[in-house]
Amino acid sequence: MNVNSIPVLARGCRLHATRDVLLIPEGTLELEGPARDILLRVDGSKSVGQIVAELIEEYEGIEQSAMTTDVLELLQTLTARGAVRVAHG
Amino acid sequence: MGEQETLAGPLSLIAEVTHRCPLHCLYCSNPLEMQKASEELETADWKRVFAEAGRLGVLHLHLTGGEPLARPDLEDLIAVGRDAGLYVNMITSGVGLTEKRLAALVEAGLEHLQLSFQDVDEATANHVAGTRAHAIKLALVPVIRKFPLAFTVNLVVHRMNLDRLQEFLALAEELAPDRLEIAHVQYYGWALKNRALLMPTEEQVRRSLPIVEAAKARLRGRIQLESVFPDYYASFPKACVGGWGRQMILIDPAGRAVPCHAAAVIPGLAFDNVREHDLGWLWRESAAFQRFRGDAWMSETCLQCPRKERDSGGCRCQAFLLTGDAEAIDPVCRYSPHHGMLTTLRTEQPTQLPVWRG
Repeated sequence: MNVNSIPVLARGCRLHATRDVLLIPEGTLELEGPARDILLRVDGSKSVGQIVAELIEEYEGIEQSAMTTDVLELLQTLTARGAVRVAHG
Repeated sequence: MGEQETLAGPLSLIAEVTHRCPLHCLYCSNPLEMQKASEELETADWKRVFAEAGRLGVLHLHLTGGEPLARPDLEDLIAVGRDAGLYVNMITSGVGLTEKRLAALVEAGLEHLQLSFQDVDEATANHVAGTRAHAIKLALVPVIRKFPLAFTVNLVVHRMNLDRLQEFLALAEELAPDRLEIAHVQYYGWALKNRALLMPTEEQVRRSLPIVEAAKARLRGRIQLESVFPDYYASFPKACVGGWGRQMILIDPAGRAVPCHAAAVIPGLAFDNVREHDLGWLWRESAAFQRFRGDAWMSETCLQCPRKERDSGGCRCQAFLLTGDAEAIDPVCRYSPHHGMLTTLRTEQPTQLPVWRG
């Protein structure tokens, strides 16, 4: 996973409509901080770089490098958990 | 204790929509006394229950049985579950599942399907399942993989197949599921009748551990492998169902609200029914759910033990089945005065002929 990767939620994984949890087979992952806003943009068409660009517009005062680190960290954690995979890149 | 004030809703609803099943597994976890088809809840009952579950904060709906495919209204039930905001999982034998039916189930909103395998060897797999299901299951996997839903393969392990775990894992790897569970048989329901046949030896368990660890490393990033250490070989009890009446509610085919699969074995528990009460009332008020909620029932040993927050004193059904006292410390715990019983079971290893359920 890098800034050019296009992440997508794995089969059978989805954001809960109202609560800050990611529903996965046989479990739930609690989402903290900007995690929900990040995952709302993980749709299999946007690259990590595009997701970061959208988020820095929304979260004023956060540097691109810090946001990139946050996004990559979350996506890598979820990839290891089998909840996110790289669609392209 | 303030338990009532702070009681959160259940996270999971297990809906045993029928006890009818084409399989007759030696290790069946369903109770000895099964509910008849004529006593099963109607479609409308289940629909109401699922809507109530959504309002109560339930996140996961597990459709199981028996074989849920035996219900012709399964598509409707899945759709109502999704409408209620629930994540819909189905645990199936796969027997009778066609591509057309699966397409309808996925269209209705099915998100996750779990299929168990009894062995890598067809003859033994069919022997354990009490029917010729192995080839059907294998043929079904490529069909399942055509659909956008999560797929779990469940390998059920015991004395008769644990020595073939390596080959069993290789088969599972070929099937390429998203998740793989290695599940040791648990000795409840019908399975307890076959314990002397199914319980693995200490040597088998010891040999299996590095195989599981190697598979986890090999499959990382491709298949999520989950494996639970066999209860009877542990020194501390499992946190059964996340604590009695804390995370899970099970509705049986006849509508009885039960705290876990096996709870009906505990004498003196009366189960209220969704035909008379809503799910919220059953969760909060039903006497069966209150019976072991919190720690008022616990022995001094458990009350003073720092592990009680983690395991709630272990499994109540197992405590009853092994000691005759549902309030006893789970004998899996090394602090139980009955723990020696497990040491004996581990070393004696009697055997028996298989007993299939009808």
